[in-house]
Amino acid sequence: MRQVLKDIFSFEDRPRFERIGFVVFILIILVFPWMVHSAYGRVVMIKFLLFALFGLGWNLIGGYGGQVDLGQAKNVGFGAYATALMMFWWNTPFWVTVPIGMIVAAAESFGVAYPMFRLKGHYFAIATLCVALVWKELFVFWDWTGGARGVELTIRPTPDFTYMQFGSPIYYHYFIFLLFITQLLFMNWFRKSKLGYELQAVRDNEDAAASLGINVYRTKVITYTITGGLGAVGGSFMTVYYLYIDPDFVMPLDLSILIAMTVMVGGAGSLWGPIIGAAILIPLDMYLGAWLGAGKRLGIDFMVYAVIMMVIAAREPRGIWGIIERLRKKG
Amino acid sequence: MELATQLIAYGILMGLVFALIALGLSLIFGVMNIVNFAHGEFMMVGMYVAFIISSYFHLDPLISLPFAAAIGYLLGVVSYHFLIHHILRGPMVAQLFGTFGLMLFLRYLAMFIFTPDVRSIKQGILVGKTLSIGWLTIDVSKGVSGGLCLLSFALVYWIIHRTKLGRALRATSIDAEAARYMGIDTKKMNALAWGIGGATVALAGALLAHYYYITPTIGMLFTIIAFATVALGGFGSIVGAFLAGLMIGLIMVLSGQYVSELKFTFIYILYFLVVVFRPRGLFGW
Repeated sequence: MRQVLKDIFSFEDRPRFERIGFVVFILIILVFPWMVHSAYGRVVMIKFLLFALFGLGWNLIGGYGGQVDLGQAKNVGFGAYATALMMFWWNTPFWVTVPIGMIVAAAESFGVAYPMFRLKGHYFAIATLCVALVWKELFVFWDWTGGARGVELTIRPTPDFTYMQFGSPIYYHYFIFLLFITQLLFMNWFRKSKLGYELQAVRDNEDAAASLGINVYRTKVITYTITGGLGAVGGSFMTVYYLYIDPDFVMPLDLSILIAMTVMVGGAGSLWGPIIGAAILIPLDMYLGAWLGAGKRLGIDFMVYAVIMMVIAAREPRGIWGIIERLRKKG
Repeated sequence: MELATQLIAYGILMGLVFALIALGLSLIFGVMNIVNFAHGEFMMVGMYVAFIISSYFHLDPLISLPFAAAIGYLLGVVSYHFLIHHILRGPMVAQLFGTFGLMLFLRYLAMFIFTPDVRSIKQGILVGKTLSIGWLTIDVSKGVSGGLCLLSFALVYWIIHRTKLGRALRATSIDAEAARYMGIDTKKMNALAWGIGGATVALAGALLAHYYYITPTIGMLFTIIAFATVALGGFGSIVGAFLAGLMIGLIMVLSGQYVSELKFTFIYILYFLVVVFRPRGLFGW
């Protein structure tokens, strides 16, 4: 038990500059709502934390596992719809809907992982994409989920911790921060757990891992299941934060790509990678979008993304964290 | 009965277009074992070439065919030299993201230039005319597109299987290293595969534009259809791609008739089932 707690909260194995950076980062986030009064700035911050959260979840299968999953949006969608539909139809408290959303997403992931991990590489990536698209089309098609129109929740006038609805963005800021930190600590534990080491061994060399007695298939399926559950948490948050969801908003392909991309850009398979990636891409998206995307001509932000993506793929597949590591080894 | 014949005819004509679209993907995969996520976007470029020729220059969209093919060829070769060549040695994740980046770039470039509006071609010799043979009524545009796709497919098949260039290409696809020892410039062969892939898919796009709507985001759908086609036919097999294209065309037209909202869902599920349960494809060996 003590060992588990130590694994969760200790960052001792990381170099000192990382620990200092992490503390500074936490402090910045904690004081942020009191320093920045611009409403847009706060929105950007919340979106950054949300995508850092998504990235941390995806990093499990995509980074530590090395399996390119292009369907994480389906799990976000499961979480978002679990919360939205249960609140809409039965007025269920938020805290009940979150675990249910996670269980649904994890169960679905487990179900599809079973056949899907017979595939590798490109075949696997395209299969994840297909599964996510099928779910999206089914949600558009299905009346009970609101179809293409989606679900809209009524706004509650007073701050309400049962349904997690607040008028002020400050509450949401600390709420998403809490979710983010929880997941980060989980990842900190995971990378040092038996499953974590097995997973990294599988990523680096499947045959070698198998010859050491690791059940490659089982490792991948379990990881994919956990990733599914983690993706749903952010989805539930999206529902109570935006109070309106539809399939194009919570489960589009673009969301899957963006989640995978934040991790790739930041550095897949490293603890801080998803955070760095989200810290670069999300403000870029929000400010570039606001600055250039006004009016009808959209898309400059995604063109910039695309160029970053191609350069990273060609020059430094380990992302920005790879560059930092390389600089440190030199210096 | 009439409806069934009509649907089958449309399915086959659609399938010929799909076959040509899948050809390039299959060729590229066969030669260098890399999957091009931007494939559908190359097709989208072909569609916009037809659109520009038709609505800005007020010429018949048929004139756009050679331009579309040439631009597609250039696009393929340029992508190869500036991007693909550099990511070939990298890990698979990098390859995936590299072509994914190319896809996003082309898609949003189109959105920037042409806005997200849905367009269609309204004027042209083929557009909007129908032809009746017995009780079968066929849109001329679909008929001619299908025919030209078949012709182009046959031409590429002939190049690959009957010319010296094609033999070099096939040698590269079987064993690139051995091909290099034999004095084949494999880098050139890779570029050629990308060129042919780009040209054929852009040509298919220009033909498809005669009767299909045009938007910047249309590529993804056709990329997945092409993946499904290639997976069904067996990766790298050209004859397989042809037969699978016809099958996918039939499935799409028939399912579209009865459950139109889910017609693409069947394609996705088909891909999933094929790669999971018969990864070699129906016609693979």
